[in-house]
Amino acid sequence: MDARDADAQDMNPHDNEPSRLAALLRYEILDTPDEHDFDDFTQLAAYICETPIALISLVDDRRQWFKSRVGLDVSETPREIAFCAHTIQGDGIFEVDDARQDARFADNPLVTAGPAIRFYAGAPLTSPDGHNLGTLCVIDRVPRTLRPEQREALSRLARQVIRLFEERLLTKRFAEQAALQHAILDSATSAVLVTQTDGTVARLNPAAERLLGYPAETLRGRPFTTLFAAADLQRRAGALTRESQRPIAADFSALTAPLARNGSDVREWQLRHRDGHLVPVLLTLSPILDGEQRLRGYLAIAYDLTLQAQLQLRLQQIAAQVPGMLFQFHWRKGTAGAFPYASEGIEQIFGLRPEQIADDLRPIFAVVHPDDRQRVLATIREAAGSVTPWHFEHRVLHPTRGQRWIEARATPLPQSDGSVLWHGLVTDITERKAQQAELDKQQEMNRRLLEALSEGVIACDAQGNLTLFNDLARQWHGRDAAPVPPEQWASVYRLYQPDEQTPLAPDQVPLFRALHGERVRNMELAVLADSTPRHVLVSADPLFAPDGSQIGAVAVLHDITERKRIERMRREFVATVSHELRTPVTSIAGSLGLISSGVMGEIPAHLQELLDIAYQNSQRLSELVNDLLDMDKLNAGQMRFEFRVQALQPLLEQALRSNAGYAQRYKVSYRLSNPADALVRVDALRLQQVLSNLLSNAAKYSPPGQEVELSSVRSDETVRVSVRDRGPGVAEAFRDRIFQKFAQADSSDSRQRGGTGLGLAISKELVERMGGRIGFDSTPGQGACFWFELPLADRVKEIT
Amino acid sequence: MAELKRILHVEDDPSIQAVTKLALEAVGGYQVLSCDSGPQALEQVEAFAPDFILLDVMMPGMDGPETLARLRERPALADTPVAFMTAKVQSGEIEHLRGLGALEVIIKPFDPMRLAHQIQTIWDRHPR
Repeated sequence: MDARDADAQDMNPHDNEPSRLAALLRYEILDTPDEHDFDDFTQLAAYICETPIALISLVDDRRQWFKSRVGLDVSETPREIAFCAHTIQGDGIFEVDDARQDARFADNPLVTAGPAIRFYAGAPLTSPDGHNLGTLCVIDRVPRTLRPEQREALSRLARQVIRLFEERLLTKRFAEQAALQHAILDSATSAVLVTQTDGTVARLNPAAERLLGYPAETLRGRPFTTLFAAADLQRRAGALTRESQRPIAADFSALTAPLARNGSDVREWQLRHRDGHLVPVLLTLSPILDGEQRLRGYLAIAYDLTLQAQLQLRLQQIAAQVPGMLFQFHWRKGTAGAFPYASEGIEQIFGLRPEQIADDLRPIFAVVHPDDRQRVLATIREAAGSVTPWHFEHRVLHPTRGQRWIEARATPLPQSDGSVLWHGLVTDITERKAQQAELDKQQEMNRRLLEALSEGVIACDAQGNLTLFNDLARQWHGRDAAPVPPEQWASVYRLYQPDEQTPLAPDQVPLFRALHGERVRNMELAVLADSTPRHVLVSADPLFAPDGSQIGAVAVLHDITERKRIERMRREFVATVSHELRTPVTSIAGSLGLISSGVMGEIPAHLQELLDIAYQNSQRLSELVNDLLDMDKLNAGQMRFEFRVQALQPLLEQALRSNAGYAQRYKVSYRLSNPADALVRVDALRLQQVLSNLLSNAAKYSPPGQEVELSSVRSDETVRVSVRDRGPGVAEAFRDRIFQKFAQADSSDSRQRGGTGLGLAISKELVERMGGRIGFDSTPGQGACFWFELPLADRVKEIT
Repeated sequence: MAELKRILHVEDDPSIQAVTKLALEAVGGYQVLSCDSGPQALEQVEAFAPDFILLDVMMPGMDGPETLARLRERPALADTPVAFMTAKVQSGEIEHLRGLGALEVIIKPFDPMRLAHQIQTIWDRHPR
């Protein structure tokens, strides 16, 4: 027992015991079933060493366990009594010739009882990393000694056992790996195919079966290329041939050729499904190399792009609807950049195909208008450098559509690798450009038109900002459109009433009124921008947008300074001439009047007629001069009215008396009928003038012997005075202008009938100045009725 | 009521002067002294002692209003009724002339047959 205790102390604790145990466990062999491979070694050991018992014993922390045993039934013993526990403490073979003679084992139960060990020889099973895991040992029930060759054989066998351990472990690991691979492949969603070096399919996973519609066993052994369209392979082979400058066949080598250079190849392909349709896939093809870098086959991973293809198709369809070309532009410092994506619109814009510019900018620049190339390049460079949005317009020489204007816009998206991805849109703006050009032309035309006008034109927007002064408007105001609030237009632009004295109130300015929705027609005002006052007639209108909202106002100014000057001169001339005429006319008419009246003595009968002619014509001349002066005064607004409220009837009676001589001359008579009892507020002299005019006209146009009727009728607000004759009436063609100056039914009328042609025009003015209106009713051939209406003054009188 | 007999007429135009004199004398039966100018009128007026003075407005040298002012300086003529004759009737002119002390303004050309009646009317209306 002492020896055993000592042994136990020797064995335990050991510095390397934990790692030895770990090494043992790594082989995962404890408590596993018997294995023939190991039994072969124990048999061989027993045979060689000529012992009845041989064991492969593995020593763990508490026991020794026999992986293989010959001539022994127990599968394990406690470590404390194990001979092998001694063996693993040393490096070489541990041998006990006669256990009963050995103090360490004499009382060992394995010696004293079954299996009654006398002889023991064990070779340590040393792992490659130096741990003694157990032993290969031989045991006999009689004392003995191994021969040297037996001892040698035992050591070699022990090494083989360890090698078997290693192999067993590897096999196990390999099986696990294989199972894992299977599990991975089976559960992978990507289709995975393995081919032989010659391209025949060796394996495929369930995803590949599903993707391609083939059961694995159907496809296995067939060429991988049967999944490809011949035309695709042909095209790829052609491209590779061009790239590599050496012939590449349109077979499996068209797939594998790029691998030599890149290690693997990732490319979109269309694989043929068992039922014939094509499946878009992203195919990654890699060589399978063994430990010695020998090619063992190829691994093909096909990623189903059907969904992507559908999405892409949808995108393409959307992109196709976009008028223009959608694009991605990828730019990396030091490169020209490329277009990884361009929609089909590129055909319309540049006459190119998307793939032509996938990694080459030159085709695009080839169609950019030569004059624009430098600018476009500079713009791209600048935008790329600063990562700011692009926007430019330039011309393109489209191969079939000729010169087009295009507009490109893109926004940058910086990438993590420092490059920049731009997303943008290119549109054809030729039409817009043309419209713009047309618009520009129109505007230029309008501008020139405005400048060519002999009118001044001023406009403002809805907020009252002055937006336009044409040349004349600028010239007349002595300044251009300026940011002047509407309330100050009158003062800043020096606008005055026609009297040139009274400043125009801000809200009287025509443009101001138009800005507030009013339409202004021919308003006269004076602009005192420089030393000479300028008189203008202004018409102004609000400007409306098609939707009816007001967008501003415009005023058109017509210069009447010169016209006014000439008018004034003419008026002065008429006034002067008329005045100068009066004196001689007065003396002629006066003399003739006195003579023909007979107050100067008896006139011989043969002279009387001539004197009458002379007198009547001098009267006409006198009337003409009077009318001219009256008209002039009326026009100039210089005629004074002395209004008085008075009864109408006495005025009518007086008119009949004053004009009685006139009636006699034309052999007609006046009759006053139904005189109304009315009060009017008039200038009696001016009213007489009107009545004289109407009565004398009626006399002139009445056939001899007829009666002219003067009547008056009251209505609610007015009294109407009518002068009715039995003459020829007013000719249709004359009606419109009967109240115009110098109007008479025909040019010969004036002489035949006498009169100046101013009478009705003056009467109209006078009646209107007295607050009334004048008119006539006439049926040709049935006489005429001239009338005027005056407001009744009765109420005024009652109130006052 | 005094009777209108003697009328002083001042007028530079000889034709008008003659027609007026005839019209007033032949039609109205008045006694008329015609003067060619204001100074002549001032010289002869006191000797004539008119009941009524008819003054042309526009005369070379001394015009009607000035002649009136000078005439009014004479105490004997301070209240003699005066009417102006004028061809140029501008706005406010009649008011202006009345303001100077004239009873009425007779517009040329006048009707010679009605002139005497016109002046008689003014005379009759004139309060004395």
